[in-house]
Amino acid sequence: MDWIIIRAIASLEFRIHTRSRWTLLFGLVFAALSLGIAYFGMITAGLVGFQNFTRTSASLLNLVIYLVPLMSLTMGALSFTTEHGAVELLFAQPVERNEILLGKVGGLFASVAVATCFGFGAAGIVISLNSDGGGMAGYAALVALTLLLAFVFLALGTMVAVIARTRTRAFGYALFTWFFFVLFYDLLVMGIAFVLKERAANVLIFLSLFGNPADMMRVSALIALGGTTIFGAAGALLVKFLGGAVAGCVLLIAALTAWGIAPLAVAGHILKKQDI
Amino acid sequence: MNMVEVDGLHKRFGGFQAVEGVTFTVAAGEAFALIGPNGSGKTTTLKSIAGLVAPTSGRVLVDGIDVWRQPREAKARFSYLPQRAEFPENLTAREVVEFYCRLRRVSSGRGIEALAHVGLDGKECVSKAVGTFSGGMTQRLGIAVMLLAGAPVLILDEPTASLDPESAQWLLESMQELKEAGTTIVFSSHVISDVEMVADRAALLVNGKLIAVDRPGALDHVLRRAASPRRTITGAGNRCLKVAVHL
Repeated sequence: MDWIIIRAIASLEFRIHTRSRWTLLFGLVFAALSLGIAYFGMITAGLVGFQNFTRTSASLLNLVIYLVPLMSLTMGALSFTTEHGAVELLFAQPVERNEILLGKVGGLFASVAVATCFGFGAAGIVISLNSDGGGMAGYAALVALTLLLAFVFLALGTMVAVIARTRTRAFGYALFTWFFFVLFYDLLVMGIAFVLKERAANVLIFLSLFGNPADMMRVSALIALGGTTIFGAAGALLVKFLGGAVAGCVLLIAALTAWGIAPLAVAGHILKKQDI
Repeated sequence: MNMVEVDGLHKRFGGFQAVEGVTFTVAAGEAFALIGPNGSGKTTTLKSIAGLVAPTSGRVLVDGIDVWRQPREAKARFSYLPQRAEFPENLTAREVVEFYCRLRRVSSGRGIEALAHVGLDGKECVSKAVGTFSGGMTQRLGIAVMLLAGAPVLILDEPTASLDPESAQWLLESMQELKEAGTTIVFSSHVISDVEMVADRAALLVNGKLIAVDRPGALDHVLRRAASPRRTITGAGNRCLKVAVHL
């Protein structure tokens, strides 16, 4: 591995994507929605106005779970299926294919991170000016976990693109992946658990957590934000299963990291011998 | 000394045999052309040399180095120009060449020189987004990227196909100059006059098989001979006739 080459590819990819109107749009929409949630997040409780970081973080979590995987998957999928002449030219250079893979993912991640931090940052500045500033550490943890989630879905998007090969197919696979993990997976698990006996269902629900990076991010963020108090009795049991709040967070972050590395390893393996 | 060796190259895409047992060598400083109709295996053969398409069997050596076993070392010896060079639309020509200079580990000054060589050194060209370039300008940028490393072997896939006649003539003359300077050139073309102008030898590919390798003039003669006694032509010969008509 030549890290100078990887850095060169990553910086070009970053430049391409930070100039893209889609990344800009994502950053602006994320910022607007974050501010909206910070202001209207407690409207159901009859509260309007900027809430502190803890309350805003809990509300923002739902936005993150839907928006970040979608953005990351599509960016990952589309970046690896760019114009054929550009791909041919790049892959004919004296660089290893894994260096291209890592460079592209690194650059993509950096651009998604900038857009995400812009969104969180805008909301964070306004919240800190308009509230008591409580829960800032939890907010920072949410930002970090969001970036990890973005990395996981970028990796999945990249793997999808390498498998799909054409842009249209890659986009379709990316949308399906988003639909499966963000919308369908929990319903599937609940459906299966419904027909199982209680003990088996409990084990399934616990293990199923590790089968979905979006769920892992949600649980680890909730643990980071409020520990067992947010979850209630079921959550307390889950945290106990995971070995406590800190151990649980560490376990989930490790599992999320593995969810990011595994698709990249698969993509790298396929790409090694793939015809361009 | 052979700079390019293609030995028993086979390539199958699913059920389609794109290239079947193609063998040839290209000497240092030689210009070698691949000619044949669409789907004859020219691009697949060139992509195999460029390390883009993995051979099903056989091997490809550039300067004695196996392109698939030691890709980095082999690819450092050549530059490849695809049929249609493309670049990210929101980059400028300068950013493109600077990026490829970093990949090839040459100074960015070499990239600027290459831009000047292809006539894209004007201020408006260097700092203009590639997305605003015409097809011909984009191809010229591709040529600049190909030239900036000063590689001893150039591989070009139908290089004049997306150029206007004037640019095509300029490129052919540049290829001649590079050949005279000792660069080994392997290219594909549909245009027999281009081949005759640049190539020392040419290989005729039909349906993935190598039919003949000879000087372009001699090959033209082979094609004409294959075309005239139509009754005696069978199998591949019939396909040669189509090539001759096409060319």
